[in-house]
Amino acid sequence: MPDPLVARLKTMIVETLKLPDVRAEDIPEDEPLFGNTRLGLDSLDALELVLRLEKEFGIKIGNSEESRRALASVSTLAAFIRARQPAAS
Amino acid sequence: MTANADAAAAGVEALDCLTPFGDAAATAAALLAGRRALAPHPVLGPDGGDPVPLALIGGAMDEPVTPRWLAPARELARRIPAGDWGSAREPVVVTSSNFGVGAMHAFTRDRDARHLAHGTPFAAAARLGRELGWGEHVHVLSHACVTAHLGLALAGRLLHRGFANRVLVFSFDFVSPFVAAGFHSLKILNAAMPAPFAARDSGSIGLGDGAAFAVLAAAPAPLRLEAAALHNEMHHFTSNRPDGAGFTACAVAMAAAARGRRVWIKGHGTGTLEAGRLEAEAWRQAFPDAPLVSWKGSLGHTLGSCGLVELAVAAAALRAGRIPGTVGGEAPSFTANVALGPLAAAGFDAAVLSANAFGGAHASFILAHD
Amino acid sequence: MTERFIHEVRVERPPAAEDAAAARARLAERFPRAALRRMTHLGMLVGAAADGIALGPDDAIVYATSYGETRALEDYLASFPAASPLLFQTSIHPSAVQQVLIGRQQPVARLWPLAGRARLVEQALLAAVLEPAPRVWLTGGEERGTWLLERGVASDRAFAFGLLLAADGDGAAGRLAARPASGPDEPGPTLASFADALAARAPLAWTGGGARWSVEWR
Repeated sequence: MPDPLVARLKTMIVETLKLPDVRAEDIPEDEPLFGNTRLGLDSLDALELVLRLEKEFGIKIGNSEESRRALASVSTLAAFIRARQPAAS
Repeated sequence: MTANADAAAAGVEALDCLTPFGDAAATAAALLAGRRALAPHPVLGPDGGDPVPLALIGGAMDEPVTPRWLAPARELARRIPAGDWGSAREPVVVTSSNFGVGAMHAFTRDRDARHLAHGTPFAAAARLGRELGWGEHVHVLSHACVTAHLGLALAGRLLHRGFANRVLVFSFDFVSPFVAAGFHSLKILNAAMPAPFAARDSGSIGLGDGAAFAVLAAAPAPLRLEAAALHNEMHHFTSNRPDGAGFTACAVAMAAAARGRRVWIKGHGTGTLEAGRLEAEAWRQAFPDAPLVSWKGSLGHTLGSCGLVELAVAAAALRAGRIPGTVGGEAPSFTANVALGPLAAAGFDAAVLSANAFGGAHASFILAHD
Repeated sequence: MTERFIHEVRVERPPAAEDAAAARARLAERFPRAALRRMTHLGMLVGAAADGIALGPDDAIVYATSYGETRALEDYLASFPAASPLLFQTSIHPSAVQQVLIGRQQPVARLWPLAGRARLVEQALLAAVLEPAPRVWLTGGEERGTWLLERGVASDRAFAFGLLLAADGDGAAGRLAARPASGPDEPGPTLASFADALAARAPLAWTGGGARWSVEWR
C-alpha cells in the first residue's frame, strides 16, 4: 500500500523545486535525491526543500550535515520526519 | 590547473582595520590573547530568531535610517593619509560583499524610503564617498568573500600600468538580518561557534562586522603585496570541486611565487567542514612546512572585507612580533599544518593570505616584509 | 596607448514586457535544462549574450551591473521571516555570470565584477585593458525590477551585452583604445547606452580618468 507521507513528500519536491518535467510518482524512493543526474537536484535544492519541510512539519534541521543525512533519499526523509513528528502522514 | 600570479609588487603605504576589538593592533592583541569577538545574537536582529554567532561593532544588528556602518567607516577613515582620493591619479577602490543591502530589508520592515537611498552597492559607495570627500573615480567591486583581494589586485594593476599614482582600497561589510538570515538558511550559520579547520561532525561559521583600508603605491615599501593569484572554479554556487582543484590552483601558484621563503599562511577557514578540509589539505600539499591559521573563529567571517581586515591584522601582528593562531580552533584539525597557538614572527620571511568565495572563487597573495 | 581588439559583439535587448518566464521560454534551447529552471532574467540575458562564445580556464571576465539580481532581491526580501536559501544565493553579486559559467561548468582565471554606476562603463573597460589574459569577455547588463523600480532603485530596462576582447587585431570587428589625455572628465556612456552603441556598432569617444577612451568599428 502506498505510503501517504512518501507520496506527499514527492509532491512537495516537485512543487517546491519547480520541476516541470518530473512527475511526483516517478521520483524513486530509495535512490539518492541529490547528486542524481536523472533528477538534476543539488544542495541548494536540498536547502530550499528543507525550508518547506520545516514549515510544513514543524521540524528543525540544525546544520548542513544533518540536512544531507536526512535528505539522502525520499525514504530516509520520511523516516527522519516520522522520528521527529510521529503524527506526520 | 594552476592560477597565474600577478608578479608586480605594490608597496603598502598605510593600512588599518576596525573590528569589534578596535583597530588592527588591538585586534591582533585580542587574537593573541585568544579572545572571541563572536557571541550569540538572534539571527533576525530585532525580530528575534535562532541564536547564531555574530561579532558586531556596537553590539546590535539594527538598521537605522543612518546606516550603522557609516560612523565606524568615518572613524576608520580618520587614519587614512591625506590625498586627493577619488581623483583620476588617486582613485579609490571600494570593496564589499553586501554594501548597504541590509537597508533593503530594513525598508520592508518599517517602509521608510530613506533606507533605499543607500541600498545598492553604488549608492552605498556614493554615500561613503560623500561622507569622506572622495571624487568621482571610485571603483565599486563586489565578489562575495574574495572582494577585498580583488580590490587589492586591481589597485596593483592600476599602479603598475600607470593609471594611478596611489590607490586607496576601502573595504567594509556589516552584518544585517538580510545577510544573517541568508547564511542561516544555507544551514552554515548555526548555533555552534566556528572552529576553523577542526575535524568535527558538523560545521558552523560566524559572521562579523569589519572595515579596513590600504593605501598602495608602486614604489617599494617595507610592507609589500606580491604575486596575487586568482581562480574561479565555476563548479557550484555553494560547494567546491570535490577533488580540491580550485584550492590547489592558487596554492600551487603561491608556492612557486614564494619559493625559497619561509612562510606562514593566513587561510580562509570559516568553520565549514568540506571547504575547510579541502583548503587545509591544499595548503599542506603546496607548503608542507608552513603553519596555517584562521582568525574567523574569533572575528567571524567579515565577508567581502575579510581579505583587507585580515591583512591589516597580519601586518599588526608582524609589528608585534607574534602571529595569532587559530582562535576557536580545536584538535584534531583536518591536517597537521593547522596552528592552533600563536607563532613567533621572527621565524618567517613572508605570509600567504588567502580567501575563498561562493562560486568557487579563490584569491591569494604574498605579504612580504623587510 | 593601451588597446584591445573586439572580436565578438553580442547584445540582448528583449521586448520591454519580457519577464523571466518569457525569457525562459524564448531561450530554453540555449542552456542546460538543470540550470535553466533557476536562472534569473539577467542570468539568461547575460548567457544569451555569451552564446557560442567558448571560454577557457585562462580567460578573464569583466562583468558590470549597477543593480544586479533585482528580482531575486525582491523575492528574497518577500520570503522573510523564513528566508529562502536559493533566493539569497541568487541575489548575491555576481550571480548572473556565475549562473552561466556554472551551467557550463567552465572555470575561468579571473572574474572582475563591477557594481558602480557613474563611470561604470569606463571602469569596466579599464579592468578589461588591464587584464593580461589573452582573451577577455567583457559583459554586463540589467534586469527590470518591480517594486524596487517603483521606488527608483532598479533598472527600468532589461538588457545584456558581451564583447570578446583580445590583443590580436586580425579579423577584429573593432578596437577599444585608451590614450593618455589631460583635461577634465567628460560623461561616459551609461551601461544601457553602451549596450545600444554596441548594437548599432556606433563609435564612442570620451575623456575620463586621464585617458581618451574610444571604441571604433571596422
